[in-house]
Amino acid sequence: MTAFIILAIVALVGGIGVVVAPEPVHSALFLIVSIISLALFYILLSAEFLAAAQVIIYAGAIMVLFLFVVTLLTAGKEDREPPESLVGQRVTAGILALLAGGGLAVLGVVYPSRRIPLGLPAQFGNLRGMGNVLWGPDFLYLAAVAMMLLTGAVGVLVVNRPHRLAEANPRVEEQK
Amino acid sequence: MTLALWPEYAVVLGVLATMLAGMVSRERTIWGYWTTLAALAASGVFTIILWASGSLPRSLLHGGLSIDAFSMAVNGLVLVAAAGALLIGWNDRRYGGDFPILVLLALLGMMVLGMANNFIALFIGIEMLSLPLYILAASGGEGLSTEAGLKYLLLGAFSSGTLLFGLALLYGAAGTMVITAVVSPHLILPLAGAGLALTLVGLIFKLGIVPFHMWIPDVYEGSPLPVTTYMAFGTKVGAAAILMRFLFFGFSLASGWWGPAIGYLAVLTMIAGNLIALAQKDMKRLLAYSGIANAGYLLVGIAAHNMLGAQALLFYLLPYGLSILAAFAVLAFVAGDEESVSLDQLTGLYQRSPGLAAGMAVAFLSLAGIPLTGGFVGKFYLLQAAWAAHEPGLAVGLVVAAMIGLAAYIRPLQRSFSAVDGTPAPIRWPLAGAIVLVISVIGTIGLGVYPAPVVHIVNHSAAFYWLH
Repeated sequence: MTAFIILAIVALVGGIGVVVAPEPVHSALFLIVSIISLALFYILLSAEFLAAAQVIIYAGAIMVLFLFVVTLLTAGKEDREPPESLVGQRVTAGILALLAGGGLAVLGVVYPSRRIPLGLPAQFGNLRGMGNVLWGPDFLYLAAVAMMLLTGAVGVLVVNRPHRLAEANPRVEEQK
Repeated sequence: MTLALWPEYAVVLGVLATMLAGMVSRERTIWGYWTTLAALAASGVFTIILWASGSLPRSLLHGGLSIDAFSMAVNGLVLVAAAGALLIGWNDRRYGGDFPILVLLALLGMMVLGMANNFIALFIGIEMLSLPLYILAASGGEGLSTEAGLKYLLLGAFSSGTLLFGLALLYGAAGTMVITAVVSPHLILPLAGAGLALTLVGLIFKLGIVPFHMWIPDVYEGSPLPVTTYMAFGTKVGAAAILMRFLFFGFSLASGWWGPAIGYLAVLTMIAGNLIALAQKDMKRLLAYSGIANAGYLLVGIAAHNMLGAQALLFYLLPYGLSILAAFAVLAFVAGDEESVSLDQLTGLYQRSPGLAAGMAVAFLSLAGIPLTGGFVGKFYLLQAAWAAHEPGLAVGLVVAAMIGLAAYIRPLQRSFSAVDGTPAPIRWPLAGAIVLVISVIGTIGLGVYPAPVVHIVNHSAAFYWLH
C-alpha cells in the first residue's frame, strides 16, 4: 500500500508536469517519469515482462522518437507555446478537471469496494504468458491491431502527399 | 476457418489487393477502386450466405465476438455506406489511390463494432473505425481539411481516453470483459456508475450527441465530400450499433442508471441539432447538424429500451443513410471541382438540372419525415417505440424536433426551386455518382411506400438480439 501511494504520487507529478511544462523537451522528460512509475506499478502487480517492455518501448524507443521530433521541428525556432487566445481557458479546464478527478476520488474513498477474486492465469506476467495471450486462440485481436498499424502506415503516405497530387485536378472519369 | 468471419476476411483481402493494385499501376488508380468494389461485393455475398446458412448466432473468441442477425444487419448497412461513399468519390484524382484503402479499413472497424461483445473488441472497433477517418478527413490538402483532420484527431483521442478509462473502471467493477456476462445488479455501485458514465461519454462522442457534438460541423465541413458522406452514414451506424449492444446486453437490468440520461440527451440533441441547422448557410454544415439531430432520433430507440425501440433504431438507419447518400451525391454533382456548396449556389438548381433538384427534394423530404418517404416510416416507428415505453416526453420531443427540422430542410429546397435570370450552366452527371443517386432515391421512396421486406429483416435481427 505504501509503495502504491508513493508510486501514485510520482506518476501524478509526472503527468501534471507533462501538461504544465512550457518547454516541449521538459514535457517529454516528465513523461519518462510517468512511464517509469507505471512500469514499477506493473512490477508490483507481478507483470514483469510488461514492465520491461514498457521501459524499453516507451521510455526507450518512443521517447527517443519524441525527442527527435521536438528537436527537428523546433530547431532555430521559438519553441514556446503562443499565448492563449481564449482567456482563462486553462484555469477553467483545470478547475473542471480537479472537480471531475476529485469527484471520482471522493466516490472511491466514501464507498470502498470489495475485492473481486479473479485468480491469475498460469504464467501470468512473464514472456510465455504474454505470448499465449497474444498469439494463442485470441490471435484475432492482434491481427486487428496489425490492421490499425497498417492504417497508420497508409496515413503517413496520405498526409505527406506531394503537392502536385493534392492540388485540385479535374475529375477523371473511367468512361474516357 | 469457419464461415462466420468471412465478410471481414473479404474486406481484409480487399485492403491488401487494393494496396497491391496501387503499387502495380501508379498512374491508373482505377484498379484500386475496382478491387475495393469487388471486396465490398464479396463481403456482401458472404454476409447473405452467412445469414441464410442458419448457423447463427455464433460466439467467437470466448464470447468476445457475437455473430448474429444483428451483426449481419449492421454489416449490410455499413456495406451500403462504404459502397455509396466509394462511388461518390469514384476515381477522383483529388483523393488519390489511398481513398479506397482507408474506406475499407474504416469499414472493418464498423463491422467489428457490429459484432463486438467484449470491451477489447469494442475498443479495437472504435479505434479501427476512427483512425482511417482521421486520415481521410485530412486528405483534402491544406487549409480546412487539415484543420478538420487535426481537430478530429485531438478530440477523438481525448474521447478514446475517456472511453478507455470507463472500460477499465467497468472491468474493475464487474470482473469480466464480456458485455453479456456483466451482471448489472451485482456491480459495485460507485465504481460501475463512474465507469458506465465515462464509457457512455466516449461512445456518445462518436455518435455526435449534443454536449459532445462540437467537432462534427467543422470536421464535416473540412473533409472531402465522399468522406463526409461516409462519416455521416457509416460512423453513425457503427456507434449506434455498439451503443445499443453495450447498453441492452450489459446493462439491460439496470436501465434506471442510463435510461433517463439517454432520454434527456435524445430530446436535447434532436431539438438543438435541428434548431442550429436552421441558421446554416453551408450545405455541408447544414447536413452536419442534420446528422446530429438524426443521432438524437437514434437515441430515442435506445432510450425507449424495448424491442420496438431496437427494431425502430435498426430500421431508421437505412432510410437515414439512403437520404444522406442521395443528398451528398447531389451536392457532389453541384460542387464539381469545389469542396463544398453554399446555399446560394443551389439557387436555380431546378433550371440547371431538374433531375438533381428532384433527387434533392426526395432526400430532404425524407430527412424531414414527410409521408411516402422512408424517413417518415422510420420516425413513425421511433414514435411508436417511445409511446410503447410510456415515455410521452420522448414522443413529444421527437415531433417538435421533426417540425423544426422541416423548416431547416425546406430552405435549400426553396432555393433550388426558385428561378434565376440568364442561361444556367448545366451540370455533368458522373456515372458512378448517378448510380448512387438513383438507387438511394428509389430506396428512399420504396421504404416509404412498401417498407415490409426491410421491416421483416429488421424485426428478425432485433428479435434475435433481444433473446440473448
